[in-house]
Amino acid sequence: MTKSHPPSTTRRSLLGAGAASLGLLAAPGLLCAEEEKFPSKIIEVVTHAGVGGGTDITARMMMVQAPAVLGTEFTVVNRTAGSGAAALQYAASRPRDGHTILLITQTHLLTMLRNKSLPQFDELVGVARATEDPQMIMVKAGSPLADPRAFIEASKERGLKYGGTHVGSVDHVAIFSFARAGGFKAPTLVPFRGGGDIVINLVGGNIDVALLNPAEAEAQIGAGEVKPVLVLSRQRLATMPDVPTAQELGIRATAATTRGFVVLKGTPEDRVAKLESGLVKAMSGQVFQSYLKSSGQASDSVTGQKEWQEQLVEFNGQAREALTSLGLLR
Amino acid sequence: MDAFLAGMATLTDPLILGMILAGTVLGIVVGALPGISGSTTIALLLPLTIGVSPIAALAFMGSVYCAANFGGSITAILVNAPGDPSSSATAIEGYRLAERGQAGLALGMSAVASAIGGIFSVVMLIFAAPLLARAAYSFGPPEYFALAVFGLSMCAAIGGDGRVKNLITAALGVLLATVGIDLTSGVERYSFGIMELSDGINFVPVLIGLFAVSEMLDQSTRRAEEPKLISMDAAKLPTGADFRKCGRAIGIGSVIGAFIGALPALGATTAALVGYNETQRWSKHKHEFGHGALEGVAGPEAANNAAVGGSMVPTLALGIPGSATTAIILAGLIVQGVRPGPHLFNEQPVLLYAVFASMLAANLLYLVLGLGMAKLFARISLIPPTLLWPAVFVLSVIGAYGPNQSMGDVVIMLVAGGVGFLFRRHGFSPAPLIMGLVLGGMLEEALKQSMIIFDQNPLGFAHRPIALLLLAVTLSGLLGPLLLRMLRVVRPQKEAV
Amino acid sequence: MRAQPDRLCAAAVAAVAIAAFAATYGFDEVPPGLAQGLGAAEFPRLVCLVLLGLAVLLALNPASRKPPPRVPAAGWGTMGLAIGFLPLMMVVGMLPAMLVFLIALGWLWGERRRGLLLGSAVGLVAGIWLVFVRLFALSLPGGWLGDRFFS
Repeated sequence: MTKSHPPSTTRRSLLGAGAASLGLLAAPGLLCAEEEKFPSKIIEVVTHAGVGGGTDITARMMMVQAPAVLGTEFTVVNRTAGSGAAALQYAASRPRDGHTILLITQTHLLTMLRNKSLPQFDELVGVARATEDPQMIMVKAGSPLADPRAFIEASKERGLKYGGTHVGSVDHVAIFSFARAGGFKAPTLVPFRGGGDIVINLVGGNIDVALLNPAEAEAQIGAGEVKPVLVLSRQRLATMPDVPTAQELGIRATAATTRGFVVLKGTPEDRVAKLESGLVKAMSGQVFQSYLKSSGQASDSVTGQKEWQEQLVEFNGQAREALTSLGLLR
Repeated sequence: MDAFLAGMATLTDPLILGMILAGTVLGIVVGALPGISGSTTIALLLPLTIGVSPIAALAFMGSVYCAANFGGSITAILVNAPGDPSSSATAIEGYRLAERGQAGLALGMSAVASAIGGIFSVVMLIFAAPLLARAAYSFGPPEYFALAVFGLSMCAAIGGDGRVKNLITAALGVLLATVGIDLTSGVERYSFGIMELSDGINFVPVLIGLFAVSEMLDQSTRRAEEPKLISMDAAKLPTGADFRKCGRAIGIGSVIGAFIGALPALGATTAALVGYNETQRWSKHKHEFGHGALEGVAGPEAANNAAVGGSMVPTLALGIPGSATTAIILAGLIVQGVRPGPHLFNEQPVLLYAVFASMLAANLLYLVLGLGMAKLFARISLIPPTLLWPAVFVLSVIGAYGPNQSMGDVVIMLVAGGVGFLFRRHGFSPAPLIMGLVLGGMLEEALKQSMIIFDQNPLGFAHRPIALLLLAVTLSGLLGPLLLRMLRVVRPQKEAV
Repeated sequence: MRAQPDRLCAAAVAAVAIAAFAATYGFDEVPPGLAQGLGAAEFPRLVCLVLLGLAVLLALNPASRKPPPRVPAAGWGTMGLAIGFLPLMMVVGMLPAMLVFLIALGWLWGERRRGLLLGSAVGLVAGIWLVFVRLFALSLPGGWLGDRFFS
């Protein structure tokens, strides 16, 4: 019966959390006596994606094997409003006892940068990375831009039209950083709702270049309609060994769609460590790994706190710089 | 052909049949419940399908998808609360029929029209998918802009003296669609610092408020003076004559639905609304519309179920989802290790035909279930209003809250209910507002994208034949009736000579 | 006086259009580095102008119809209950608020068979709990009381 009423659970655990979340309502702090066992109740995974969104599916795939590893139930809490703002606020409203984890993307970091009333970047503590999907520069097959060097030459001569998601988005930041690192003429962003629209418009000839994850255009690459020119990762992809990285051609830019788990600062460190090892173990399981593999993402996507936290810091700096230059930060 | 037969043969597997049956029943139930749509269900059950074979998983998901679109019409007809967004157009005429005590007629017609539309689109999917998929590439922003203009012009084409009022509600819908972050400039509009508004106004709560909550408010004002009498022929099913009358509507709806569904950016909801308008435009019984026209149930229901097969076209042939639901089915396929794309038709034909076969089976199954249970469902309209309408409100609340788990959506639903109530009292129809809200965002985005693509030169549209054609059709649709009238004035004189 | 209701509607629509038009001047400015062609405010302004034009059209050609009937007491009561549902939900949570609403509205509309009213309300809420909470594991708002006791 306990799993029936998220976020409810057994009588014992409810006292502790109730006291913490309602301290203002004079719930007596002395009820917070139970520290020993963690996790002692359902763990909430907060995401900004609606049910069925890409990030939501990542969370649900993680949840298949996590209960067995950590010995508790998991539930997804979808807080869709405000590009992650609602999810951040919700997580901040919960007790920082490790029973609320946040599945974030770079979008959350951008939202935080642009909205100072939200919990800020230094409030987040990385737990584990779930997915890392490198982005690629793609053009229509047969286009004169299909050769990497010709592409770079053309980019320096004229501002190309890039397909990406909306203005001020992760894609926009990535395109901006890429063009700046390459010393290109300022590109024009043609904003679309999602990867599918971008692929169609690339094949349809409405845009010159698209910034896409490999999986988003895999069907068209296979059919010879779309040609990947550069990959914005540190190493070449195992699945597309012929495509050079931007760094090989002297453009120091990387971009990836990344998702990972964080908790808010103030969560006891031993609990963060326990969550880290538990989540990494769950995501190394067969279900999550086959999800990664089949959706075209690298199996070394899953990594622990150290690397994930470094990456968050790096992206935060990159995003701040890009947003400032674009005039989106005030 | 071998692959075709092998695909069909999977239907003899009891496990697959069981999955189809389970999916169909579940689809009807979740479709009928506001707040849980087919896409939500598939998303929630996705992790569970990992354990079974790809064919069984796909058969299950396909069945839920097919049946949910039909299930939505049940609540739309009985209590004016579309259970699935795609059945909003069905509510317009269907609920009027139920009010007249002909719920069974509407439910039976919905089941038959849905099944015909669904089967038509699957057959089309089998034969024309690769071909149709190519068409998607020809649809860029300029074409979508023209399509949105075409769709919105329908609001004016609806006859009657409510033309200006229809356009007003449509314009209000377009205005509502501008709320939230602007795609091309990143600027927040009309959100007044309210976080829930920054992502735009979700149309599900608006829909539920406009239709169901305003209906409850309306009932509350009428209750005192005229207690509603519901005749006992609520359980009467449609007859052969009814079907003959609606044949044309089903045909129009099926073709429109399949085509609109096949365009990646548009889904079953738009298909149903356009289907409703076109059915009315070509109907021989225009005067019945607005007062419970059976054709007005058949057209949109055929269209929204035809859109199911249609939206599978880009999903399977291009790997690009044609709707929210197919986006999740696509994720399910990928998890199963099946990569959709042009090569799927050559590499895994058996799997593909098995999916088609199971979708056909699901369509037939809900036809049987739907007709069999229509009498039973129809009795819901006989529940005393003192119990029924409070229940509808409660279901509306959960329907608004469910998809995004947002209290903001509940507030939007209540506001929409109040506005819908005012609309009713002053002779405005809520349907154009939904149309404006659905198409308004696309109208603006496609226009801005086109302008960027054309380097801000509007003459760029002149080089897009499909867009020009659509705009020409729109213009002729708007001016056509006027021209016809002028011709009629001229011609008799000539003949008289 | 015959056409007054439609003129009133036209005035209300015009007021909405003008207010929405005015609000576009409150939008943040598009950063100069991003401004390209149509900005954020142009399209809404255009829609507002169309709306204003349509309102004028409606005011010029009002349909002759009777003013809508007066709202009876039960109607106001229903609206009050619908609005009151929100704060009630904030306090006691969604499911208990639904139970209260079902019974209160049924009673207001004149249902006096207590057993039936109570039974159907409890049955419906239990059904909702079963489907949405148990089967689909959606978390419904618990309200202040729910947070107090169940989290």
